[in-house]
Amino acid sequence: MATKTEDSDGGPLERWTQSAIQNPERVYRALFYAAMLFFLVTTMFPFYWLLVLAVTPEGNLLAGSFLPAVDLFGVSGTFPLPVPKGFNPGAFITVFEQVPFHLYMLNSFALAITTTIIVLFIASLAGYVFGRLRFPGRAALMLGILAISYFPPAAFVIPLFKVFAGNAPVVIPFTDIGLFTAPRLLNTPGSMVLPFSSLFMPLSVFILTTFYGQIPDGLEDAARVEGTTRLGALFRVIMPLSAPGVATAAVLTFIAVYNEYFFSSIMATSPEATKWSPILGGILSYQTQYTTQYNLMAAASIVGVLPVVILVIVAQERIVSGLTSGALKE
Amino acid sequence: MSTETGRESQRSGALVDLMRWMENLSDTQYAYLLLTPVFLLLGMVALYPLLRTFELSLYALSVDLSSTSFVGLENYVELFTGEKNRYLPGGTTFLPASLEFTSMLNSALVVTLIIAVVSVAFETIIGLGQALILDQDFYGRRWVRAAIIIPWAVPIVIQGMIFFLMFNNNVGFATPPLADLGLLAPTNTLNDTASATFIIIVSDIWKTSAFMALLILAGLQSIDRGLYDVAKVSGATKWQQFKLITFPLILPTIGVAVLFRSVQVMRIYGIIPTVSSCTVVPSLSCMVVATFNTREGVSAAIAFVTAAIIGIVVMGLIVWQGEDAI
Repeated sequence: MATKTEDSDGGPLERWTQSAIQNPERVYRALFYAAMLFFLVTTMFPFYWLLVLAVTPEGNLLAGSFLPAVDLFGVSGTFPLPVPKGFNPGAFITVFEQVPFHLYMLNSFALAITTTIIVLFIASLAGYVFGRLRFPGRAALMLGILAISYFPPAAFVIPLFKVFAGNAPVVIPFTDIGLFTAPRLLNTPGSMVLPFSSLFMPLSVFILTTFYGQIPDGLEDAARVEGTTRLGALFRVIMPLSAPGVATAAVLTFIAVYNEYFFSSIMATSPEATKWSPILGGILSYQTQYTTQYNLMAAASIVGVLPVVILVIVAQERIVSGLTSGALKE
Repeated sequence: MSTETGRESQRSGALVDLMRWMENLSDTQYAYLLLTPVFLLLGMVALYPLLRTFELSLYALSVDLSSTSFVGLENYVELFTGEKNRYLPGGTTFLPASLEFTSMLNSALVVTLIIAVVSVAFETIIGLGQALILDQDFYGRRWVRAAIIIPWAVPIVIQGMIFFLMFNNNVGFATPPLADLGLLAPTNTLNDTASATFIIIVSDIWKTSAFMALLILAGLQSIDRGLYDVAKVSGATKWQQFKLITFPLILPTIGVAVLFRSVQVMRIYGIIPTVSSCTVVPSLSCMVVATFNTREGVSAAIAFVTAAIIGIVVMGLIVWQGEDAI
């Protein structure tokens, strides 16, 4: 039986090999599609697994393997792809009933949008300065901003946590001179938006510097001759012309904040939606119940990932151009 | 009524004065004025904390835990000689206690370096492959590109959840086959340092290969297409074109991307507590978070050492790349 199939396969394979030797383009084409398929399967498979878990009814989760046994020509083995054990999409509703997951997502959105607005305003001014003005100290200052984006959040977190806790005065480093006591910011947007803004601003500064630098000087000069003020020229001429750059910076900042883990986990000390805990707190709250609800964890992950999936599909050109031009200034 | 219009004109008068003042500034003064918000934000949330972290690392709690006292570089000395390792959670150390495999895996510095080296190596290879695919023109390219980028945009907590659900011993289906190959511990997989580190590396590769791919793609697209036409005319095969044109020309890009990613992986944190725990896989950032409530001085010292390592790598990058790096 086995030899017979080998024989009948040998014919076309041999013919294909022969034509491939004559025409190597075909081999490259085949390799190309094989590689593409490999990358698609490996990047998409984890999402398929979430879906399998999410639709499996809770009672069936621990009953047997997700890889069903199959009988292949008398040889028993396991089917290589996990399949759901039963079908019950109810988990997608339960995630919102058990914890207010939509409120966690709303918190994440609010934090991301606030950070994006602050970053865009500050980075627009900085991008204009670095992209269009020549002044002493330019290179050193850009270097400083770059360095900040490289530093680990851990290097900032201890003093920030002490300040945001609001029970000790902010002191000048290396002295005991107290300046003021900050209000208690833990569990409020302030304790997250401030560190997010400074960590994610450098990337936007670099993107906007590139975009602003490309606008011809003549346009700005013309506006100035027409009697616009310096700031007027920036906000009425330069910024509208760099709308694609501004949009790119906005999308990347939004995604970065939505992604963030470090400060979100430390500054939101109690994982409650009413205390500004973002999706991080929401997703992890299914684990801290008396029983670990794997199907709810999977369903919540799918719901939580949807906004960025949509954003990537819609704004992929912006993301690609932003990361390729801004992440490494070349 | 008249007073109101009066106030109105006064207000716009002040605005006009401000505008006139800005018009008369020199370019340098204007530049620094517009950069004031950046200085304020970075000064408050980056520079001040960095200096304070260094300062805090010079202090330690007194024996009765009631006050702190200045101890100089003692925290650093103890970190590097291993004396203060008893304060790190779960029997982990900063430097390895010996050259045995298990004690290497208990060292925060070694584990972080292992994750960085292995992840970045695989990300570079996979990212190069993805970049070569995305550089081609084919039907459905938009969708393939979106599919490849999506993992990069997945929130870290969800990335962690995915790999927790794939590898835990209750519902995870991926452990048994890999355990049969001897790559993972068959039971308590996520509490086994070697297995958990392996899974964390795999998840990091899954998420960030696309980022590497985009950086390499930028290099690929800056290559002059005319070179390929010349190569085709002189009869070079596709492999020769890659070996002699593409690869040498994108090598500098790959070099910068590798350093950039290494620096990013050195601060790996969120994925570790979600998939496993910081006591099982002690990364540098993990140690900072795990100790900062109890041993602030030690925690600040680890944080500052991490920042210093990253600072040195970045300095190297800048010296190597010169002005191009900024």
